[in-house]
Amino acid sequence: MTATLTFGPPATSPGRATFTALAIRETRRLVLNPVFLFAVAFITFVLWAGPDAGQTEIDTANPYPAIFLGGFGMMATYWLTRSMRASEPVVGVTPVTQPVRTAALCAVAIVPFGCGCLALLRFVQLIPVSSPLYGAFSPSARVAVLVGQIVIPALGGPLLGVALGRWVRFPGAAFVLFLLLYGWVSVVTILSMSHANSALVAVLRLFAPFAFFSLHNDAGGVTAWRGSPWFFIGWQLALCAIAVLVALLRGAEGRVRTRIIRALGIAGVAALILLVLAALGGFTHPLTA
Amino acid sequence: MATASISLRDVGRTFGATRALAGVDLDLRPGVTGLLGPNGAGKTTLLRLLATALPPSQGQVRVLGLDPEVPAERTGIRRQLGYQPQEVGFPRGFTAFAFVDYIALLKEWTQPAARHAEVRRVLDLVGLSDLGAKRIRAMSGGQRRRVSLAQALLGSPAVLILDEPTTGVDPEQRVVLRAVLAELARTSVVVLSTHQTEDVAALCERVIVLDRGRVRYDGPVTELTGQAAGRVWLADEPDPAASISWRTGTGRYRNVGGRARDGVEHVEPSLEDAYLLLRGGSPEHEPAQGVAS
Repeated sequence: MTATLTFGPPATSPGRATFTALAIRETRRLVLNPVFLFAVAFITFVLWAGPDAGQTEIDTANPYPAIFLGGFGMMATYWLTRSMRASEPVVGVTPVTQPVRTAALCAVAIVPFGCGCLALLRFVQLIPVSSPLYGAFSPSARVAVLVGQIVIPALGGPLLGVALGRWVRFPGAAFVLFLLLYGWVSVVTILSMSHANSALVAVLRLFAPFAFFSLHNDAGGVTAWRGSPWFFIGWQLALCAIAVLVALLRGAEGRVRTRIIRALGIAGVAALILLVLAALGGFTHPLTA
Repeated sequence: MATASISLRDVGRTFGATRALAGVDLDLRPGVTGLLGPNGAGKTTLLRLLATALPPSQGQVRVLGLDPEVPAERTGIRRQLGYQPQEVGFPRGFTAFAFVDYIALLKEWTQPAARHAEVRRVLDLVGLSDLGAKRIRAMSGGQRRRVSLAQALLGSPAVLILDEPTTGVDPEQRVVLRAVLAELARTSVVVLSTHQTEDVAALCERVIVLDRGRVRYDGPVTELTGQAAGRVWLADEPDPAASISWRTGTGRYRNVGGRARDGVEHVEPSLEDAYLLLRGGSPEHEPAQGVAS
């Protein structure tokens, strides 16, 4: 026969309070991370302190938040996630399960997301939505393009960093993935320049967490490419959900694991549908305005 | 008779083809239980099982009446558990206070004032109250060991599992830590694995000797030590009749085991003598601390 001893630490409050306190702690760690601080400083310089006059095209400026808040944010959260790995023998036997700790890490993405929102506001201030620099898109589609290029990558990159940190041991994995994504977006963008009318190239261009929707040509006009910016946002959000679920899957067990796997399946199907809709929607052929 | 707080029934654990533990039956109650055994005997595996860090391959483990294989019950155990692993890494840039504070948060101490007070208390217990602001990476091995012990002491847990807690810790601090653990053991189940037999002798009422994954001895420390009575003697030279001899601090030789000649100067055996005899009197099996062959 065994007996349960009832004493334990005083002043404990399990559950939501622990999650909130942990998320705040991890957020504080992120905002003090040198990589993330550099990224924010650079974006601040580019969008606020940098030269804002004479902006003649949007595609030279709007990748910066994706690169720095998304890409560098991914590297920062990857480091944040990995930093406790050495202490796992201790951390792993605390009452807070790994999925809860992962969720707290995912919650820090709210900071780069907020930075992305501020960057969007500043960008719209620099180049109003009514500007002809956006090309043939409607005003709402222009906003969707900017949200998909500035705000969502700032959210998705850090989430991807957490997922990567949970599953990959290689210390430079986030940097390698950043280079791969950068390379992929560059390649499919170059392909789109030469095959602007191709549906396959449009799918390849949109099959990424970041995509360009227009090209400023030398004659001063702007060519709007195929694809729906709104459905592209849906695709990006589905990717964010997949990143969170993949991160949470690590260490999950029992019913929680089953639910996560089921949700992953749903998110995967949703992502696929949204990618197809993004490729089929919008303009059916390039439009130069 | 007191009821058991931890029980193991026919517990085994394998890693691939390697059998780390086999057929272990134990009941542990409040007090300090020492775990001795040579390297690879299964001590760390047993402690990881008790700390819910590892599931058994076979058998049944109950900690505080809860089943660690059931997720909700495992969390219940962890709420009352302190665990100092054999090796623990520390995140870069963390101070001692920040690390223990982070672990306290994971132990659901969400009220900052109470948590900080508790962190200060445990750092004080391990003699690090003045070094709380020092980065762990800049600390000595013994100081890091005390940081990892401090986090285990958070909340005075009902079950405290310590894997070689005094390794690298200076003698003065070891004496202090013994007092801390003895006080905690009034109400808690404390299990410590160590190669320092003097720590076991000073702290534990009970000792378990593991060998090749099986319990070789389980009983009072005094009883094990008593088994060496009359088999330890001092001489000016190593005695060829002894199983093992080594030079003491006085320059004389301590001879253990074998057949003592008539007229030799018998001395009171230590736990180390008894442990070596239990192990077959051969130091090759176990390079125990402080023993020179």
